[in-house]
Amino acid sequence: MGRLHAEEMILNMGPQHPSTHGVLRLKLTTDGEIVSKIEPVIGYLHRSFEKHAENLEYQMVTPFTGRCDYLAAMGSEHGYAMAVEKMMGIELPERVEYLRVVFAELQRIASHLVAVGTFGLDVGAITPFIYCFRERELILDLFEMASGARLLYNYIWIGGLAHDVPPGFVEKTYEFLDAFDKRVAEYNQILTGNKIFIERAADIGVMTPEVAINYGVTGPSLRASGVNIDIRKTQPYSIYDRFDFEIPLGEGLQGTVGDSWDRYYVRVLEMLESAKIIRQALDQLPVEGDVKSAIPKRIRPPKGEVYFRSENPRGELGYYIVSNGKNVPLRVKMRSPAFSNLSVINEIGQGFMISDVIAILGSLDIVLGEIDR
Amino acid sequence: MTEQEIYASLSSKFGDQVVEFIEEETLNPTVVVEASAIADICNYIKDTETLQFDSLMNLAGHDPDGESDLNVIYHLHSTELDHYITLKTFTPRDDGSVASVANIYRTADWHEREAYDLFGIKFSGHPDLKRILMEDDWEGFPLKKDYVPAEFYRGMRIEKVK
Amino acid sequence: MIQSLANWILSFDILSGLGYSISWGLSLFVVSALIFVFVAVNAIVLVYIERKVSAFMQVRLGPMRVGKFGMLQTVADALKLLQKEDIIPRMADKVLFIIGPWTILIASVVTFAAIPFSETLLAANMNIGLFYVVSISSIVVLGIVMAGWASNNKWSLYGAMRSAAQIISYEIPVGITLISVVAVVGSLNLQTIVQAQAGVGNLFHWIPIPLPNWFIFHSPFLFLAAFIYLIGATAEINRTPFDIPESESELVAGFMTEYSGLRWALFFLSEYANATLVAFLVAIVFLGGWQSPFADYQGAQVALAIMTLTAGMWTAFVKTKVGRLSIYPLGLSLALTLSAWLFPGFAIWLASPGLFWMIMKAATIIFLLMWFRWTFPRLRVDQLMYVSWKVILPISIMNLMGVAVWMWLTGEIQF
Repeated sequence: MGRLHAEEMILNMGPQHPSTHGVLRLKLTTDGEIVSKIEPVIGYLHRSFEKHAENLEYQMVTPFTGRCDYLAAMGSEHGYAMAVEKMMGIELPERVEYLRVVFAELQRIASHLVAVGTFGLDVGAITPFIYCFRERELILDLFEMASGARLLYNYIWIGGLAHDVPPGFVEKTYEFLDAFDKRVAEYNQILTGNKIFIERAADIGVMTPEVAINYGVTGPSLRASGVNIDIRKTQPYSIYDRFDFEIPLGEGLQGTVGDSWDRYYVRVLEMLESAKIIRQALDQLPVEGDVKSAIPKRIRPPKGEVYFRSENPRGELGYYIVSNGKNVPLRVKMRSPAFSNLSVINEIGQGFMISDVIAILGSLDIVLGEIDR
Repeated sequence: MTEQEIYASLSSKFGDQVVEFIEEETLNPTVVVEASAIADICNYIKDTETLQFDSLMNLAGHDPDGESDLNVIYHLHSTELDHYITLKTFTPRDDGSVASVANIYRTADWHEREAYDLFGIKFSGHPDLKRILMEDDWEGFPLKKDYVPAEFYRGMRIEKVK
Repeated sequence: MIQSLANWILSFDILSGLGYSISWGLSLFVVSALIFVFVAVNAIVLVYIERKVSAFMQVRLGPMRVGKFGMLQTVADALKLLQKEDIIPRMADKVLFIIGPWTILIASVVTFAAIPFSETLLAANMNIGLFYVVSISSIVVLGIVMAGWASNNKWSLYGAMRSAAQIISYEIPVGITLISVVAVVGSLNLQTIVQAQAGVGNLFHWIPIPLPNWFIFHSPFLFLAAFIYLIGATAEINRTPFDIPESESELVAGFMTEYSGLRWALFFLSEYANATLVAFLVAIVFLGGWQSPFADYQGAQVALAIMTLTAGMWTAFVKTKVGRLSIYPLGLSLALTLSAWLFPGFAIWLASPGLFWMIMKAATIIFLLMWFRWTFPRLRVDQLMYVSWKVILPISIMNLMGVAVWMWLTGEIQF
């Protein structure tokens, strides 16, 4: 009997594709439905952040950082501000630190809501996505109240905040937190425990701790593999050492440790932990304090360099900044978490089906804005 | 281990290839090494029991002034022992090359491609060194301080910065 | 219906000269046109309902701008689609590309010929009705494969291949499930199947709960068969959780990727026609078709009055985010109630075996399908095949045997 001649087919997924979370292109080598090789092609959203940063004064870079990770702009701004503050040795007022933590954690919840919702969307569940956006909307309302913007804030400045929060903000945030815990239970009902969802996500794209660390995967994706690394705990920055919160780890409840379901569920749990942190921060928030008092008149960090990392919703956000003593940075390199997180997809996605590759991509929670910068 | 001890360990092992130790003007104490030795050093610090640097947090290219050598900076972290070190190496502007660490730390794969893309730093031994963020047929390396953009890219005028 | 229409035409003196064959042809044309119009209007209404249902399930409003409560939105969309530029990709297989959507549409429209909407409203009373419906509706897969292949697009090809595998796999359990009903009735005629479900009986023959003689209450096996059929049919019409041929987040739009404008609208039309067909089939085969759930007409009159009144009262007190929903249903239900009491004939027409109950039953099934769609994630290809070949098919075969044993136990058949 003659053998059936079968060829591998190259399938070009993206840059215009509903599930690549932006303008990502994946070159899939497929044998029927099975994917044997995944080659991500990036750069479609490259906006020359680093080149821009070399031509702008330090404070003018802040809005650009938010545009990199547009789903977690507060986190990006926070990281950048802290890096420059560390170079200049600025001591911040307590109120600024607490408010920054509140905003960073609210942003983490908002970002994880998008991650959780779009992961549902990737495996075909449309409704949870809209529920997630309902809560995200409330957070965006809080951001709008404080900064006037809903997506890109330019709120966390080097040495302080753009302005203090308006009256009523704290009460409204408490209101949101009170409602939020019940809402998470809703997601668990509609998506987390759904049999089809578990079938689609469990045991898919298993990432071992060794692979994760070697590829520089960070954030919830790393912790889903059971590695207990969260910069908020291991190398506390800002005032994170004052709060009491847990680091959720992947336990393989529905399959293997480090599968897509774990990556999803770690994010769900992290939202609850973030809510805990916000509650504590609001309880301890000093009433007095000028949020602008520490903003330097001239931002000229001394000659030198720093690599400062913070825990963004997607993982380790590092800024490598070199200063030559002028008011314009010599080099700003952003080590974006999603850049490294995406690079692992060929390793963990091989041998799965096209549908699974979509699920794995969704569970990694990438934002093309910060991959391409 | 402190950075000082790590430096001592490295210089005793690699001798001349470890050039100097910088503590001034940086918040991350840095060991400067020769470009050709970086792969061996990374292998060593990853596998040695007392160092165990298993995570390459960041790899950045850097052009200090547009005349002197290009730098490559490696920020390393040991997740087991929880200590940090920064390695720095340098390469001539045009025809030098740095040993690739992409096979030691898979993180470096894309980061080295990015450094090549933006600075034109060549990494010898990299499995697939090509542009990653810019177009494949882009001329020049934009983050070099002496970079002058071409007049046109595929018939489109490139606007000058400043 | 064609027959009676032809006779009706001939009954006029002035038209009697037409002759039987011409008047028959004329009636045939009229009836086909009616069915097509039904399918088209049905799709427009269902798209609107689907949008609203999904919106309410997702704490949204849905279309609100075009017309009252956005009721003209789908009409506007349909008009927009008709005006769109007709694009055929340069490398596509032109002939197949054009034939594809029409094949699907025709296959899904002609099946309605055999559907008895009421005791008289039925285009063709076929003695092989069920067989006809099942076989014609499986032509849809040909159209899908044509469209997917002709598009010369890898996504379309994937969609087409998935679709072919899926529809063929699910046709078997669906067929066997329907056979188990045919085994009870002893006829393939859909009208006979409906009539066999008349009257009131016990639940599962012995349990003394008086229920209509619908086949879903006939035996535990047919009860199960109804659900198997619903699952299989959901897969056959490519709806979530079995929508992998057009899975939006994976294959862009599957076999529809390259289509736009009118041809794309044809896919949509047939999709909703198929959903309606499935809903009608479930109603006919398992839920008593056009039979009223109330056995006698007097009961129907009372029941209708009570139902409309409660519905009206309820909506009057419900304040939704949509606005003042109260007035329209209240007014409608009051009008219905009043007319039902004033004109008993109207009530009987409304509540009697016929279109009303048929549409109510079908609407319930369609709502169920929408509910599935907006709740569940999507299965993967291999899981889909697993469900079909390893779960549903064995169960449906066991079921068929179970029905036979049941009928022997209850004495419906003797050996």
